[in-house]
Amino acid sequence: WSSFAQWATFARMWYLLDGKMQPPGKLAAMASVKLQGLHKPVYHQLSDCGDHVVIMNTRHIAFSGNKWEQKVYSSHTGYPGGFRQVTAAQLHQKDPVAIVKLAVYGMLPKTLHRRTMMQRLHLFPDEDIPKDILQNLVEELPQPRKAPRRLDEYTQEEVEAFPRVWSP
Amino acid sequence: MASFGTLLSGSGRLLRGLLAGPAATGWFRLPARGFREVVEIQDGKTTIIEGRITPTPKATPDPPNPVGQCPICRWNLKHKYTYEDVLLLSQFIRPHGGMLPRSITGLCQEEHRKIAECVKMAHRAGLFPNHRPRLPEGVVPKSKPTLNRYLTRWAPSSVKPICNRGRRWNKVGMAVGSPLLKDNVSYSRKPLKMYH
Repeated sequence: WSSFAQWATFARMWYLLDGKMQPPGKLAAMASVKLQGLHKPVYHQLSDCGDHVVIMNTRHIAFSGNKWEQKVYSSHTGYPGGFRQVTAAQLHQKDPVAIVKLAVYGMLPKTLHRRTMMQRLHLFPDEDIPKDILQNLVEELPQPRKAPRRLDEYTQEEVEAFPRVWSP
Repeated sequence: MASFGTLLSGSGRLLRGLLAGPAATGWFRLPARGFREVVEIQDGKTTIIEGRITPTPKATPDPPNPVGQCPICRWNLKHKYTYEDVLLLSQFIRPHGGMLPRSITGLCQEEHRKIAECVKMAHRAGLFPNHRPRLPEGVVPKSKPTLNRYLTRWAPSSVKPICNRGRRWNKVGMAVGSPLLKDNVSYSRKPLKMYH
């Protein structure tokens, strides 16, 4: 077991995840697996085998159901009367990155390593990512949800090929 | 495809006889009238308001199950469609996004409700960008930052935030999808979760 083989096995990867039209919970689940290193056969909690994950387009995430209005993020400033509750929509407008960040934070193991794993997570609201991070990226992970096609995204031939189910 | 300007007379529930067409022997349907639109032409001082019959698309012949009563049963689509099947849903909507009445389309009551629910979910997901509601004249819509959503059961403006989700054994769920589509065929082993 040479040091070169050890370095190669424990090298850190950089993964890219596109959050356009994706549910933030599923993005966070995939990201937390990669950040902990659970996808590696050499995983051990103490061996610092987590990878970097870059999530882009967090501004365009899609919640299922009415969660934008129903889901409430609570916090307390520590001062009396400082209990703050904001809906997901309000939080997303203030900070487009916060929802995915909180989702990943909640899915990581509640140990002291969590903070280092969060430092290895990079979130960007839109497509523009700094050049030095772009150079590091190794692989793009497949999106968890297949976004449905809008009516205007179907070609005229496909629309005509679809049978008309009724006539007046 | 969108149906152009369906104008109906105020007959509503009048039963005028059996439809002499493919299948449909159960429910009495109104005699077939084509799609029509109202055209307003301004000629200097005279305004001509004209009703014109637009080309009506014909139903595709030979459905797989001619014995069925409603179009969905005839085409064997009973538990097989969702909000994503825009090509099917667009056949039952008006140009500004509203549903067509049951007496015209020939759907059975439960399928009409399911299709209406799927159409609502598709509108909320933004899958019908060209079927937006008609605005009164002169009104320019303000561009608000839109949020992406899918499988929304309730209208976004009508929902209140859940401030307290409850204890670990008694959580209040957030509704996803619709209970009308509970019986849909699922090709993966996972059961449909109605509440997250």
